[in-house]
Amino acid sequence: MTDTPQYSGPAAIAARIITAWALLGGIVLLAVVCMNTWTVIGANFGIPPDAAETGMIADLRRWIAGIIPGPFPGDFEMTEVGICIAAFSFLPYCQLTGANVSADIFTARASPRWIGFFQTLASVVALFFAALLLWRMYAGLLDQKEYGYTTAILQFPHWIAFVPILVSLGLLAMAAVISLCDSLRQLSRGSA
Amino acid sequence: MTEALMIGFAGLGILIALIAIRMPIAYAMILVGGIGVTILNGPAIFMNQLKTLAYGQFSIYDLAVLPMFILMGNIATKAGLSRDLFRAANVWIGWMRGGTAMAAIAACAGFGAVCGSSLATASTMGQVALPELRRAGYSGSLATGTLAAGGVLGILIPPSVVLIIYAIIVEANIVTMFAAAMIPGLIAVILFLITIAVYVLIRPGAGPSHGAPERREFFWATLGVVPVLIVFALVIGGIYAGWFNPTPAAAIGVVLVWVYGLLRGRLGFRAMGEALLDTAKTAGMIYLILLGAEMLKIFMSRGGVPQAVAEWMANSGLAPMTVLILLLAALILLGCLMDSLSMILLAIPFFWPVLVEINGGDYVDAESAGFGMTSEDLKIWFGVLALIVVELGLITPPVGMNVFVISALAKDIPMIETFKGVGPFFVAELVRVAILIAFPALILWLPRALGYG
Repeated sequence: MTDTPQYSGPAAIAARIITAWALLGGIVLLAVVCMNTWTVIGANFGIPPDAAETGMIADLRRWIAGIIPGPFPGDFEMTEVGICIAAFSFLPYCQLTGANVSADIFTARASPRWIGFFQTLASVVALFFAALLLWRMYAGLLDQKEYGYTTAILQFPHWIAFVPILVSLGLLAMAAVISLCDSLRQLSRGSA
Repeated sequence: MTEALMIGFAGLGILIALIAIRMPIAYAMILVGGIGVTILNGPAIFMNQLKTLAYGQFSIYDLAVLPMFILMGNIATKAGLSRDLFRAANVWIGWMRGGTAMAAIAACAGFGAVCGSSLATASTMGQVALPELRRAGYSGSLATGTLAAGGVLGILIPPSVVLIIYAIIVEANIVTMFAAAMIPGLIAVILFLITIAVYVLIRPGAGPSHGAPERREFFWATLGVVPVLIVFALVIGGIYAGWFNPTPAAAIGVVLVWVYGLLRGRLGFRAMGEALLDTAKTAGMIYLILLGAEMLKIFMSRGGVPQAVAEWMANSGLAPMTVLILLLAALILLGCLMDSLSMILLAIPFFWPVLVEINGGDYVDAESAGFGMTSEDLKIWFGVLALIVVELGLITPPVGMNVFVISALAKDIPMIETFKGVGPFFVAELVRVAILIAFPALILWLPRALGYG
């Protein structure tokens, strides 16, 4: 199912970096999954029963609670931050593999040259969007740092999450340049 | 008409034009939304919003279930869960006339219980069941039609990606929506099975029956579904029972399917990496569309477009039921042109205010409401109806994605045969929509019984 297009030269290196970055984001997603699972297990089995409780079951639960760590504090906010970072890291890979859905039914009979033109347009919008958001979210990072915004429970500073996000946006711009080159090539081929 | 409203409508027109010329739907929304807000609010405000808009949008807690359920479905695909499901269904009902096709439907339903996507269900079940159906001598039309239609069950049976998105747009409880979709999903399975039974009654040659399975095979195949039952019972059952929120439930689902794949020895590093990259593609696409939809929403509500449309429809003098059926028909039509997710994100922000307005506002009581139910109930009822009709686009021309996926697997069967094979199932779906419109209780009962509605 993974049909990463084949490139040569610098585009190939860029494509590899983008794919690796998406995989890293996937690992962040897995980390969030594990954290949430830990929370559920911890909340159900990791808390020892009240000292007043006696009997075999209470002892068993105490024994289990001794092995299993309690619930992860701040799972809610770290889920939000983790998923956000992961989602941004997926964007360049989507651009690279053309996973962003479009409706091609209206232009099914258009000539390759027109399609090349439409794709050029779409790539320019993607590039412009990536660059604009990179610039604006850099300003966002500076704001977050200046005002010292953190999450509520773990006091995790939001600006740290912005760093991988800015990398993602930079890679998104790179992926947009690659698809722009592709579509320009198709455009020139169509006119020849 | 105010100037802002006119700019809003012009924006909608440009959006449709951009989508028509192959602009990815997310970027079309971002472009129109961004420029529209810049015009109406001035650049300074929008530039300031952009600093945190995407961060805020991507870190919505309720959205976190999306990538997790997508990952769960992808791991389930790599782990060969579909094979075990089909094998079990086949020993149970495969001996009947048309039984192998019925087994494929049952297996699709089972897979839909761990996967929230139609395309993934169609393609993975297609790979497993199509060769079996051909070997059993099923006609190309019935074999491919069954699988294309069965794929729809992936989204109709919770968890469902489209339903999660709907719940977020209209601010409904995801658990309520999952509960509401359950009985309609089971009705779909039953109607599909009846469809096959009738089909092979009329054309006995299309679906031959084969002998009953041996006892050994029966035992081992049945044992194979136990893991699926456990995952479904824990994840969806746990959500219904209120043991945990959808997000931790989805996380547990991922871990369970992961462990299952490891135990079956079908999930090496490579397969896991592929599952992650497939998840990256789907989740990245959805998040970008969500961001675009948010920008478009800011623009449209600033221009007052949804309110204007709602007022206009409410004053049109049409009966509430007529409006509902018109909106559903519009969704079916739109579904022929674009994918279900983009469509829900584009259309629901306009359609939902119309229905609330006609029903008599947010806090109307059931007696005086246009639809005879509170707006909260209407939200649930319409959500399930919308879910069904947007999925019809997957099995109808011109862009029946499920049909394309199955056709790609069955190269020797012309696509027209697949569309013909899907036809009876399409009729079954229309029957189901009619049943659910006539008896809203089928949708509203379970959430209420579980204490959510």
